[in-house]
Amino acid sequence: MLKTQEYNLNLGPQHPSTHGVFRILLTLDGERVVKAEPIPGYLHRGVEKLAEARTYTQFIPYTDRLDYLAAMLQNWGYVMAVEKLMGIEVPERAEYMRVICGELSRLASHLIAIGTYSMDTGGVTGFELALRERETTMDLLEELTGSRMTLSYARIGGVAADAPEGWLDKVDKFMDKMPAYIDEYDGLIAGNEIFQARTMQVGVIKPETAISYSLSGPNLRGSGVNYDLRKAKPYSVYDRIDFDVPLGTNGDCYDRFYCRLQEMRQIVRILKQAVAQIKEVDGPVIGKVPKVLKPPKGEAYEEIESSKGIIGYYVVSDGSAKPYRIHVRRGSFINLGYLDELLRGVLLADVIAILGSLDIILGEVDC
Amino acid sequence: MFGKGLVKGLVITWKEFWTPKVTIQYPEEQPPVPERFHGRLSIEVDKCIACGMCVNACPNKVIELKKQKVGKKQFLTDYVQNVQYCLFCGLCVEACPKDALHFTAIFNMNQYFYDNLPVVLVQREAPAEPVEKEEPAAKAGSGDKVKPKPKAKVDKSVPAAASEVAAGKAPDKEGQ
Amino acid sequence: MFENLFVGIAEGLRSSLGGLPLEINEAIVMLVKLVGILLFILLSALWLVYMERKIAAFMQARLGPNRTGPKGLLQTTATIGKLMAKEIFINKEADKVCFLLASTLIFVPTLMVLAVIPFGKNMAAIDMNIGLLYLIAITSLDVILFWLSGWASNNKYSLIGGMRSVAQMVSYELPMVIVLLGVVMLTGTLNLSEIIEAQEHTWFIFTQPIAFIIYFICGLAECNRTPFDLVEGESELVQGFSTEYSGMAFAMFYLAEYANMVVICFMTAILFLGGWQAPFGWDFIPSWLWLFLKMYVMMFLMMQIRWTYPRFRVDQLMGFGWKVLLPLSLANVFITGAGMYIYRAIGW
Repeated sequence: MLKTQEYNLNLGPQHPSTHGVFRILLTLDGERVVKAEPIPGYLHRGVEKLAEARTYTQFIPYTDRLDYLAAMLQNWGYVMAVEKLMGIEVPERAEYMRVICGELSRLASHLIAIGTYSMDTGGVTGFELALRERETTMDLLEELTGSRMTLSYARIGGVAADAPEGWLDKVDKFMDKMPAYIDEYDGLIAGNEIFQARTMQVGVIKPETAISYSLSGPNLRGSGVNYDLRKAKPYSVYDRIDFDVPLGTNGDCYDRFYCRLQEMRQIVRILKQAVAQIKEVDGPVIGKVPKVLKPPKGEAYEEIESSKGIIGYYVVSDGSAKPYRIHVRRGSFINLGYLDELLRGVLLADVIAILGSLDIILGEVDC
Repeated sequence: MFGKGLVKGLVITWKEFWTPKVTIQYPEEQPPVPERFHGRLSIEVDKCIACGMCVNACPNKVIELKKQKVGKKQFLTDYVQNVQYCLFCGLCVEACPKDALHFTAIFNMNQYFYDNLPVVLVQREAPAEPVEKEEPAAKAGSGDKVKPKPKAKVDKSVPAAASEVAAGKAPDKEGQ
Repeated sequence: MFENLFVGIAEGLRSSLGGLPLEINEAIVMLVKLVGILLFILLSALWLVYMERKIAAFMQARLGPNRTGPKGLLQTTATIGKLMAKEIFINKEADKVCFLLASTLIFVPTLMVLAVIPFGKNMAAIDMNIGLLYLIAITSLDVILFWLSGWASNNKYSLIGGMRSVAQMVSYELPMVIVLLGVVMLTGTLNLSEIIEAQEHTWFIFTQPIAFIIYFICGLAECNRTPFDLVEGESELVQGFSTEYSGMAFAMFYLAEYANMVVICFMTAILFLGGWQAPFGWDFIPSWLWLFLKMYVMMFLMMQIRWTYPRFRVDQLMGFGWKVLLPLSLANVFITGAGMYIYRAIGW
């Protein structure tokens, strides 16, 4: 008699759609997944261990390289934790510059999320068009900080430098053009019936499950849970800026994708308000910080809303110039906790769609 | 009706087909490099007091600095930036108290051989007695203070004077 | 003026060989015709690769190949040269004979089919009376070759690709064939040249719009083009059934895809767009040029669709083929039959 057999397929570290070097060991029955075992660790660089041999300021470039697509947000979380530990006050203009640079980084990260998700499902054009806008974003960031991707812009007590002449107007003009581009992505990718058929009702995460697995970012909001750290526990100057938090209804891949698309529209709103408000604030961009940073003994934990989830930094100090321990609560790593259950019983093509919708980045997953 | 999104997608790609492209065709056209660009380092040897703050500030131990005491001051004799380890973060530039270290707009630092990678910015002999400070404006091939002498290990026949390389005005050999 | 260019060449050749007996004369002329078609298909595959890359680039806000040769025209020759220089790497476990056989035979069905296509007025190499049936029969042989390459590679990714290709190509052939019945019912013949001549007053795209759309969609599925390219779904199965192929063996698959596209576009132009008939009686462009123009319009549409849409999932694809296209094609046959009966009854 004919019999069927389950086989192991390695969605290996080298694969066009695993968003980095990520390995999933799939056990398949035909094309249906029976068991999925995610195996991270191929990009582990020992960042938390390296932190023990660097001073507090020297660690800032390392935080860039965790989620390298939204570098400013990673810097920001870390310096906020150290400022909390040392009790340093950040001047207002620095806060506004952090918001502007952070939102531009978030825009760059969401553009890649949308582009690569379109490419994962097969529409390569969406990817190329999204990258065109990302180029403009990175050009703006290059004018501000000197680097395109690994910014190292935040410093303990403020930011590295003020905006150059005319830069804020360029950001404003770019934000005027952005809604037309977002409509283009909406029409080309989200409005496409084939894309909708691929992503609707696929990979449904219920709100209770999302909360119990500590999902964060658009993964949580796609299931309908209204939890955005910028609104729930406002930090920096977010309480002065008016914006909405897009929520999904079903918790499927399409809702998570659409949340990111809508968040880009909100980023445009935030940036326009921030650029208008910073014109009235003058002052230094770095606060009163001692030359050699020696925080008092103790620990501090601070988390912010990054583009992929909540990123938190736990800094333990023993009174010397080098931290005793830094631990990073990485959003992408925790978002992957539910992957095994989510992938049971889906087809192979859905594995790619679900993995893409979780929007992980291996720099963050492996630290 | 079913298919509306499909037709809209085709319309968008049709429009995109006719839009003028923004590609910059390198190397015939160079991309515009902003002022704050984090390229290769450059050091103004007149301003440098060889304090070593840049070495301490670097997260990755990229900068190698050698100095010699001449009279009452420290004299900078060797300054090498190991670009293979450099993060281009800019902490060294911020740390310099005399504003001697800067970034340039040079971004091709590629070499054919691994040993040629570290960029030698300053390499000179210390004078026997302290020399009077010359005008800081003169840069190209200034006098007898700087002697471009190629070392045997690094194979460069010095097309540009060492001071020009240090000032970031001329690229290293095989750079551009 | 150029209308009878190729016919004239054939006549000239026949007369210059006048001394030989008739059969050998005809055989030599046939050989020249077939070699001509071979050259045509190889050159068009070369040109189409470049055209696809340029069209894709322009739709994606970038420039495409523009360095090798003037405007990048020699890019494909450079690609083929590079592929020829690569080693064809065969796994130890792979079935060597089937592996190489699949890639060697991939051009054969395409070339066999091109012999019956009428390129212009009186320009079919072999004017078969059952041309349409022959064409459909031969194009379904492609399935075996894709399946064979997926199996022989001894690679799980290729195996999935091969299995998917069998499922997809077989299930999309049914609506394709049934929909062509509508055309056959209207003309009453399977001969391709007569089908074209029957479209003198109206093209069949106006009398059979559903058939045109269904035939085009099924054609896309036969060529394994997006949105039906899950056989070689690049995001999932790295390269699908041709993952293990490298060098010239891969180049054969690569070019054969474009050759298949040429056949499908020719068929669409012949069956629904009037073949070499000039619209509105514009005779100044020769008939074979009209066919090429129509074929290239369909080709552009195919390429635009590829670069706009994401791809289907396997079960959605099968559901679409069996539950949507098949009933629609049967309905098309029914409506055509009823329409013809009413037509004749009224006495138009």
